[in-house]
Amino acid sequence: MKNLTGAVIGKSLGEVGLTVLTIIVAVAVLELILYFILHKLLKHRLATPIMLIAPAAIGMAMLIVYPLLYELRLAFSNMNLYHFKNPEFSLAQGLANFKRIFTEPVLKQVTILPLLVRTFIWTFIQITFHVAGGLTLALLLNRKIKFKGIYRAFLVFPWAIPQIIAVLAWRGEFHYEYGYFNIMLQNLGLAAINWKQDPFWNFVAINMVNIWLGVPFMMITLLGGLQSIDSTYYEAAEIDGAGGFTKFRTITLPLLKPILTPSVVYGIIWTFNNFNVPYFINEQELESSDILVTALFRAAFEYNQYGFSAAFALVIFLILLGLTVLYMRISNFKPALRRARAMVAETSE
Amino acid sequence: MNAKHGAGYWLFHRGKDGSRAGRLLTHLFLILACIVAIYPILRVMSVSLRPGDRLLSTSLAIIPADATMGNYKEAFDRGFLLWIWNSLVITLSTATIGVLLASASAYAFARWEFKGKNGGLVFLFATQMIPAAMLMIPLYIIAVRMGLIGTWKGLVIAYSVSSIPFSIWMLKGYYDTIPIELEEAALIDGTSRIGAFYRIILPLSTPSLAICFLFNFMTAWNDYLLARIILQKPGMWTWPLGLQSFIMNFRTEWGAYSAGAIMVSIPVMILFFISSKWLISGMTLGSVKG
Amino acid sequence: MKRLIAMFIVVLLAFALVAGCAKKVAPPEDVVIEMWTQENEKEALPYLQALAAAYTAAHPNVTFEIVSKETEVLREDFQTSSLAGNAPDLLWTVSDHAGPFVVAQLIQPVDSLINMNDYVESVVMDNKTWAVPIAAGNHLTFLYNKKFVAEAPADSDAMIALAKQLQADKKVTYGLVFNQLEPFWLVPFLGGFNGKVFAADGVTPTLNTPEMIAALQFFYDLKFTHKIVPVEADYSAADTLFKEGKAAMLINGDWSFSDYATVLGADLGIARIPMIKSTGKYPAPYTAGKYYMIAADVTGAKLEACADFIKFATNYENQIQLVTQYKRLPGLKAALADPVIANDPILKGSAEQMSVGTPQPNVLEMRAVWDAMKPEMNKVWGGKMKPADAAVAMQAAAEAGIAAQK
Repeated sequence: MKNLTGAVIGKSLGEVGLTVLTIIVAVAVLELILYFILHKLLKHRLATPIMLIAPAAIGMAMLIVYPLLYELRLAFSNMNLYHFKNPEFSLAQGLANFKRIFTEPVLKQVTILPLLVRTFIWTFIQITFHVAGGLTLALLLNRKIKFKGIYRAFLVFPWAIPQIIAVLAWRGEFHYEYGYFNIMLQNLGLAAINWKQDPFWNFVAINMVNIWLGVPFMMITLLGGLQSIDSTYYEAAEIDGAGGFTKFRTITLPLLKPILTPSVVYGIIWTFNNFNVPYFINEQELESSDILVTALFRAAFEYNQYGFSAAFALVIFLILLGLTVLYMRISNFKPALRRARAMVAETSE
Repeated sequence: MNAKHGAGYWLFHRGKDGSRAGRLLTHLFLILACIVAIYPILRVMSVSLRPGDRLLSTSLAIIPADATMGNYKEAFDRGFLLWIWNSLVITLSTATIGVLLASASAYAFARWEFKGKNGGLVFLFATQMIPAAMLMIPLYIIAVRMGLIGTWKGLVIAYSVSSIPFSIWMLKGYYDTIPIELEEAALIDGTSRIGAFYRIILPLSTPSLAICFLFNFMTAWNDYLLARIILQKPGMWTWPLGLQSFIMNFRTEWGAYSAGAIMVSIPVMILFFISSKWLISGMTLGSVKG
Repeated sequence: MKRLIAMFIVVLLAFALVAGCAKKVAPPEDVVIEMWTQENEKEALPYLQALAAAYTAAHPNVTFEIVSKETEVLREDFQTSSLAGNAPDLLWTVSDHAGPFVVAQLIQPVDSLINMNDYVESVVMDNKTWAVPIAAGNHLTFLYNKKFVAEAPADSDAMIALAKQLQADKKVTYGLVFNQLEPFWLVPFLGGFNGKVFAADGVTPTLNTPEMIAALQFFYDLKFTHKIVPVEADYSAADTLFKEGKAAMLINGDWSFSDYATVLGADLGIARIPMIKSTGKYPAPYTAGKYYMIAADVTGAKLEACADFIKFATNYENQIQLVTQYKRLPGLKAALADPVIANDPILKGSAEQMSVGTPQPNVLEMRAVWDAMKPEMNKVWGGKMKPADAAVAMQAAAEAGIAAQK
């Protein structure tokens, strides 16, 4: 069983192959049926787009819509280990769940407000550093220098490495006696830091790890943005005698914005919901290092408060949705994208 | 660095006519950044070369004095090759299916106007904001009802679908940048709409398709939660389950774990390397047709 | 009309899909028992696999599918799969899982299936027995390296003096090491100072007591007054230091014995955790063990097969094999009385320690108490909090955690 023999390879290829084949056949059958119904029978105006969307839509309905509805229903129940197999579903129970989120501790002692504030601070710090770091590196890599490809290959390392492995590797480095940071601090004649016990330093540690993880993605996206900027803009500015920083402020930043805005939006979503880093670096389970999603996970799976945590998940989702929409409003998401399209269209012609 | 300009000049200057000192500084800075980027992984490598499960050491040397390949052997003996193979087969097929499904849907979103289109796009976008761990229990229930527990089918289907929203957004954004006139020309020549999509849009979208493939691959490759509830038998494990089995109730076999960790990073590195030429041009993160 | 036909086809297709996905049922005479265990390859998993293979050899119609999961993962996954009606049939797991599983009605009583008088004390709740003991123990014990420690110290003062002496002589880096992260290591000392985690009713936490403060003060003194333990030590650090001979004494569980016996050989000594000098009482670690549990909806031939397998797997010969191979104390009374235990120095030390232990509560409230103790205890270790304040905080956190479970 443990070895990769020819028979095992054959069997696994067989199973996966069969699965892929089943999916292809299912999609083909679906498309044929839709074709006959929509094209031949109904002559529907939107026959083609419906056919294009249908397979993905069915998959989504099964794997995303159904679970969502399930969770929504669960939010109106008292399900926990005491009411596990036959929970009560009622509007009153749901309202009680929501009320509890805002009036009582979500975990043992921490209430939602400090969690929310911490999650906002966390997201803000992360996005700031990701953009600053990513932009700095992208600007450097956009220069005409040697070994660019090699630098780029090394710099995407933190992104390419499986996150959980990177996080566990970093956690070891925060060990009081054996971790890299304290060894270095002591070599420099400074006092060692209690990374895992001190709430402040633990939060710093979590932030350090995630900055390291998040910069490469920003760097790559922004590098793409930088490379799409036509160099004639700079040449024109140079004729006008603009200096480096002026050019950056008047040409690079505005033209980068169409790329920057959506990457920041995704950055916000991923950071806000980041589970691995704040959960695993916080080895001693300090509630002072929890953000909303880690608190949610503990409520659901360590305290088994299924009904309550479904309601809590809904609240977190709405907060994030609100935050994202707000950011998109502030940063003029739509016009920025329209400009981006115009710009790319211009350069590709 | 040119003294009269200062640090800001050095960073923001585009460096075409940069001085030698400026170039040197650029290289120094980039080398430093590279070291920061790979150092933690080198430390993992160091643990993987230590005999016994010595996670902890006060030595900062990357290659320990008593380096051994024993942990790598241990990982292989426990079935590492099989886990990697399982992961590869599952991941590659799901990434392919996911990209195919998303590329078609994204085309419908990019080129047609229909009722509920913006709603659909917003919904897809909003699904990215759901805390993933919350969907595990209902997903498990579906998998049980469909008889997918303990099979790779369940994983292939779930992974393929889970990346669709992100892929649709990215591909739609890319399709939007392709001038519609190209297809119109083909339609006049008598090609069908699907034919135009296949012959014109898809080839032009290679960079973005490659990026979607990469993202789908990474999501499936790194997944632990879903694999944990769907797969049971050790013979079917993907690598995250395999490596997890080195972590015991109190004690962890750090040596073998680190050896495995180093090795699972290799396929992703290769994929990044292959796709690096599209990585930069293909990253158009979504848009709302305004 | 056209729309009607369209609807019809869609519905037909949906039915075809559902039918295609339906599960196939195995023929009735064969029984496949799906079994989950939290043992792994380096622990007793091979032993369990051998037992299953032997049983199948004798009863060819009964086969097993054995899945190994980490302890917490096993608990979560068992709950999830029970919810979906797809639970495994048989579990080999730790006793404290019985609490949540009984409350959520996921396992069934075993009294009517197996004669529980043959076994040591098991998990009893609501006057029913819910599990069959495989191995008793899982308790913390005192381990020492005979290279540095000739004989186990008689009491806590002697232990501290010895540790200081060894450190002063530069024989070891630390006199004593143990996992400082987990409150599981605090419980024995709480007992040594006459304290208990729960009041007599078994569910009300009693953490804000003079006994708890004394136990936390003892920890604080070990680190800041006597300086005989590392500044920070998790499981791996304690383990590494002891194995490398950089620490003379260790507190660790019976699951680790065979590992240390391999590394240290004849130098490994095992004894009770030294008596607390001021109270004259031995520290009382939690004792628990590994148990077979049967899922709630197993019935008929499968249930019979499960019960029969449990009887086979815990018979005298198989229990003695577990004792000799893994140095664990057996759950079967007849095996526990066997001279093989009294003659083995490791097992003897382990049994002696167990005799002063306290059975670990299986109630659901225990979970909230663990979570409440952990961060506050760590603040004491970090010198960030006084023992008295930590005790107050623990109690408040435990009460809040228990309220949240309901």
